[in-house]
Amino acid sequence: MSDDMLRAPAEVKYAEELDYLESIDDSPKPFSWRLSPRMIRLFVLGSERSDGLDREIPQKWFGDRSFVERSIVTLASDRGLLLIGDPGTGKSWLAELLSAAICRNSTLVVQGTAGTTEDHIKYSWNVSMVIAKGQSRESMIPSPIMTAMETGVIGRFEELTRSTSDVQDALISILSEKYVSIPELDDDNIVFAQPGFSIIATANSRDRGVNDLSSALKRRFNFVRIPVVTNKKSEAEIVRFRTEELLRRHQIELDVPPTLLDILLQSFADLRSAAASATSDDEKLESALSTAEQIGVLEDAILHSNFFGDRTLRAQTLASSLVGSLARRSPEDLAILNKYWHGVVEPRSKKDGGEWPEFLEGGRSAIATLS
Amino acid sequence: MSTPKSKPKGTGTPTAPGTGTDTATVMGAFDPLRDQLTQAAREFGGDVVSGVLTGLVDDVDRALREELEIFPVCHHSPASALAMVRRLREKQPKVIYLELCEDLQPLLTELRNCRLPVAVQAFATEIDGFPASWAPLSVVAPITEASAEYQAISYALETPGVELVLVDRSTDHVFQWAPKEEPAKKEHAEEPGLHGDAVGVEIGDLRPRFAELEEHLLHHGKVRHWSEWWDQYVEQPLAGADYDTYRQVMVLIGSLFRHLDRDADRLAVDEDRERYMWTRMREHLSASGADPADCLYVCGAFHAASRVEQFGLASTATYEISPRTGTKWLYGLIPSSHSAIEAQFGLASGSVSIAAASWAKSLTRGRLTPFRLTGQKGAPAGRKGGAPGKKGGAAGRKGGEPAGSVPPDDELVGPDLRRDAPRGEVTDRLSGFLSKPPALDEMDEAELLGWSVDIVRLARRNGYLASTADAIAVFETSILLAGMRNRARPTPYDFQDAAVTCIEKDSVPGRRDVRRLCEILLGGDRVGEVGYDALPPLARDVYDRLEPLGLDLEKRTIQRALLDLNADPHLAPCSDLLWMLRYLLPSDAVRPIMGERRLGERSIQESWDVAFGKHQRSIIELGYEGVTIEQVLEQRLRRAAWDPKATAAVALAAVEDAVLFLGSWRFADELGQRAVELLASERSVDDAPEVLRRIRRLMAYYRAHEPELPAWCEEFATSGYAQYCTLLPTAFVADDAGVRQVAAMLGFLFSMESLAISLGCDRAQLELAVQQSHPEAPSKVALLWAARSHLGLLSRAELRERCDELLANPLVVPSFPLYIIGFVQAMEPVPALTGFVVEVISKAFGRLPDRVLLPWLPKLITVLRDQAGELVPVLVREAGRTFPGTLDAVDAWVPPWSARPAPAASAPAAVAASGPVAELLLGHPASCDAVAGLLGCEGSWQAPSPGGSLHREAAALLTAHPDPALAVAALLT
Repeated sequence: MSDDMLRAPAEVKYAEELDYLESIDDSPKPFSWRLSPRMIRLFVLGSERSDGLDREIPQKWFGDRSFVERSIVTLASDRGLLLIGDPGTGKSWLAELLSAAICRNSTLVVQGTAGTTEDHIKYSWNVSMVIAKGQSRESMIPSPIMTAMETGVIGRFEELTRSTSDVQDALISILSEKYVSIPELDDDNIVFAQPGFSIIATANSRDRGVNDLSSALKRRFNFVRIPVVTNKKSEAEIVRFRTEELLRRHQIELDVPPTLLDILLQSFADLRSAAASATSDDEKLESALSTAEQIGVLEDAILHSNFFGDRTLRAQTLASSLVGSLARRSPEDLAILNKYWHGVVEPRSKKDGGEWPEFLEGGRSAIATLS
Repeated sequence: MSTPKSKPKGTGTPTAPGTGTDTATVMGAFDPLRDQLTQAAREFGGDVVSGVLTGLVDDVDRALREELEIFPVCHHSPASALAMVRRLREKQPKVIYLELCEDLQPLLTELRNCRLPVAVQAFATEIDGFPASWAPLSVVAPITEASAEYQAISYALETPGVELVLVDRSTDHVFQWAPKEEPAKKEHAEEPGLHGDAVGVEIGDLRPRFAELEEHLLHHGKVRHWSEWWDQYVEQPLAGADYDTYRQVMVLIGSLFRHLDRDADRLAVDEDRERYMWTRMREHLSASGADPADCLYVCGAFHAASRVEQFGLASTATYEISPRTGTKWLYGLIPSSHSAIEAQFGLASGSVSIAAASWAKSLTRGRLTPFRLTGQKGAPAGRKGGAPGKKGGAAGRKGGEPAGSVPPDDELVGPDLRRDAPRGEVTDRLSGFLSKPPALDEMDEAELLGWSVDIVRLARRNGYLASTADAIAVFETSILLAGMRNRARPTPYDFQDAAVTCIEKDSVPGRRDVRRLCEILLGGDRVGEVGYDALPPLARDVYDRLEPLGLDLEKRTIQRALLDLNADPHLAPCSDLLWMLRYLLPSDAVRPIMGERRLGERSIQESWDVAFGKHQRSIIELGYEGVTIEQVLEQRLRRAAWDPKATAAVALAAVEDAVLFLGSWRFADELGQRAVELLASERSVDDAPEVLRRIRRLMAYYRAHEPELPAWCEEFATSGYAQYCTLLPTAFVADDAGVRQVAAMLGFLFSMESLAISLGCDRAQLELAVQQSHPEAPSKVALLWAARSHLGLLSRAELRERCDELLANPLVVPSFPLYIIGFVQAMEPVPALTGFVVEVISKAFGRLPDRVLLPWLPKLITVLRDQAGELVPVLVREAGRTFPGTLDAVDAWVPPWSARPAPAASAPAAVAASGPVAELLLGHPASCDAVAGLLGCEGSWQAPSPGGSLHREAAALLTAHPDPALAVAALLT
């Protein structure tokens, strides 16, 4: 089935692994969970020799083990889980993996936007059916969250802080009473949550202050803060892992030279430290410089080389892709990149050589084109 | 340093114990385990692995078979402490050998006067045999209540007939054996804390010295740091284990870390220590004739697995202990704290506090009574909140028995188990331990519930919106997390994670986050205190002398002392002492808020912030330098003045401090004499401004307070006069002597001139020195001109003329500002020149082109501020006198130097004085004529102008304002 999809959800993509883990899992499982907490941890963080498994389970999410443990444990309690962190730190990916491992369904997702209404969280009506047959359970359209309640699985709420406060507060009763009442119906008008239901929400810490969560809602969530990955080794792992996946998805056969990967990681590390020492917003790039953005830059460069180049990833392409992705504001971002290119990349290309001179050239011409 | 490093001397002992025949003969108990491990090694690795694995078993076997009972410990481990309590009660040994520097022994009895944790310290400032850069040397051994060593010490000191023998190398050897090339105090320089930069020693240092091993253990143990690993895999399983299991496991761990130790240098030192300890123990046994069966050797597990040939009482290998160096060691106790211990020994934050908490809990649960020194301050562990601390101790003593020597707990041991319980046939407890996952304690629900409730309460107090629901969530999450991490019972670390998960939201409302609150909840940092009786004499003296202030100096808070010296003159000695402490202690230990002490000044009222509790270590360390504060201060001043790098300015500062703080003329004279010597031998004039400032201040003080100047002052003036005269020509041309320095030299020469000449110096020396000076730098040229004008070698008119020439010469104009800087500096030695400096600056402002003037102005301001700050008011005052005060007057104003009255030849005649004095002199001209003749002056007498010349000024005033005079006249008539 995953072959027919542009991007298969985690439970489909890793179905085989999940089946295997379920078959060997003899530990107690909370509620109606498909896997025990330890197996879920193993699924997310990968196996080691000492786990004594017949097959290797690759690591899928890179980060501190305690974050995963705390997240799983929260879902086993009666609180919702709120993953909070900078954009691109892997919050949604972790949420997807957890849902897939716990209930084999990660698609019950509500996307929080300024236009999200309470209907998206609770239920809405099929108007034509209501006209034809009147209001009934049949003519009701349950939201993903309500479906999750009915089936006792995990519901996901992406970008919780993007939706308005009244919509957010609709979650309070769902999380505390664990039912939704449907006053329009005379009978069968309450949907109770089945055991195993919980909510994983994600929130962007850069959106703080837009629609702050109410204290009542905060109380019903456990917060797990996911930091930006600054460890170069794990970052390289993440980028490699995700890029391979992308290449597979696009059916592209192209090698990413390790030297170019190093250049990419080094550039991001430099730009991050520059942003950390900046004193005003004008002195730092608008981008959060997350790992996801690195992957974006690399993907862009790969696609460009594949379709418009000679099917070899070159430093020049990588540089122009990096400039193109990070220069969002003109002239602020361009000025910062110009400063970086001439203050850091140029000396480095003289000192280290390798692919750096080509990277320097590519960046220069990209900045010149955009200026 | 040439101290010979001690070397073992083999005396033909057949083999290292444990590695050869001796174990082969006693094989039995550990055979199956050994076979199993050999089998495993064959499957997974080669000979090396096999050697390591069987070596572990051999080590355990050997340590357990040793005739002298070895008690392996780990530092700050409650499990060790518990095992120690149980074993001491069982065995009741007569002699305890302890792995602690042998020279620290006399201090241990002072522990009873302290609140733990404290550190036993050895300190040396007078070093001999070590590189001078190492001084001062300091070694600390912190002691906490939850430690095996404290239990052993308490038992030994409280039980009659028990001897405690410290057997480890002396503190002197700690440094003898330290690598010479690196400074001994490198590691903790950035973490001063309570221990300062002392080198820490501890009993039972047990941690992998092989970074990869530690990383591996942490990774597979799924824990974050070493303390957590230790807690989960060793501490908890051993807390309730029997003595055999405890010993075997501890030796096994020690042996493992020993086998995987890659630091050869450190291992060599450790082996030397083991040789040292075994040698000492054998010496003691043979001297005292004690039965080894009555003895207990308490050492780190690492040393229990020793393979040196001196190991064991049966060994005959000798070891020559090198003599101590000539370094003079002083000993004392200093306060310590959990956080200081953690910082010094690289433990995770909060781990010592958690160890203390689990010790307390284990005591309660095991219904054990720990050993405790009589009179020990602080609540005893295990009775948290229950409080039979001092009372309990007192009650115990009332029964006629020391507090520590409680009879054995019946439930633990029966009489038949005494003495030689572990010495029979050794049974293998290791196989069981190694083949099972760690058997952890049962869940202690009540404790976890208590923690959960308390953390919520604490969080609420710190601004979190936490509620009872959170307490429930924390409780539940802790259990779930522990389950996920293979633990039956949540550890404090699981609890901490759970609390963070459930309570921490998107921001921290107060100063402390939940993680920090957990640390506080689980014990927090405990800071020890050294009791009055255990303080060195100096510190006791300080406390006694400050008693009139009525402060509780043992408190750790900052206390405010108010001294009204007029109303309470008896507080004056306290004030003196506080000023001395201010000089000697770190700046925030004693801080004056109001009042100051300067030469010739005394405050009427003073107020002080005193923080002795926090700086107890500094006061105690002062005690190593002397018996009284005065003695220490005198030594410090003396050391400063006799330092090889000391200068005359430093010696003068010492004189000033001696006068200010000690009031000792004799000592001040001695230091002053030293200042004279230093000045005479100085070849640099860098300190001249400082010397001038200080000697002026001191002379002013002596003139005001003493009938005559001290002899050294006079000598300083004469030798300074001669010295600066000699150095002046060189200083004028040398590049490294600045204008300020030369100005200060001139200032010294001119202001001390009258004194120096009266003492026999010759002015010609100065005149010659000035004539020999040929500076090239414009600023110094200006200075020289000023000096010449002061000496009468250059008249004011000539000086003015030279300046005007400079201003008129376009080639010199750019450097004119430098001349001005020279003139400004010249105001110091030649104050009479101030008016002229104003004139020169005014002319420069008026005539210098903007391109020269404007870039130079900021420089003038910075130079004035940095180098001549005290001269600016003088300059401004003079300028105020010269320039008109109002704007209107400026237009009509003519500078006094431009409106110079034409010199009139007849002018002197016109100003001939009149009045009674003139009349007297005119009437009796003989004496004046005689003086004039002596001085070689020529002249003639002029008759005062008759009539109106009489009191001309007064007459003019009266004519202008006749009213007051008329009114007075009317009143009188």
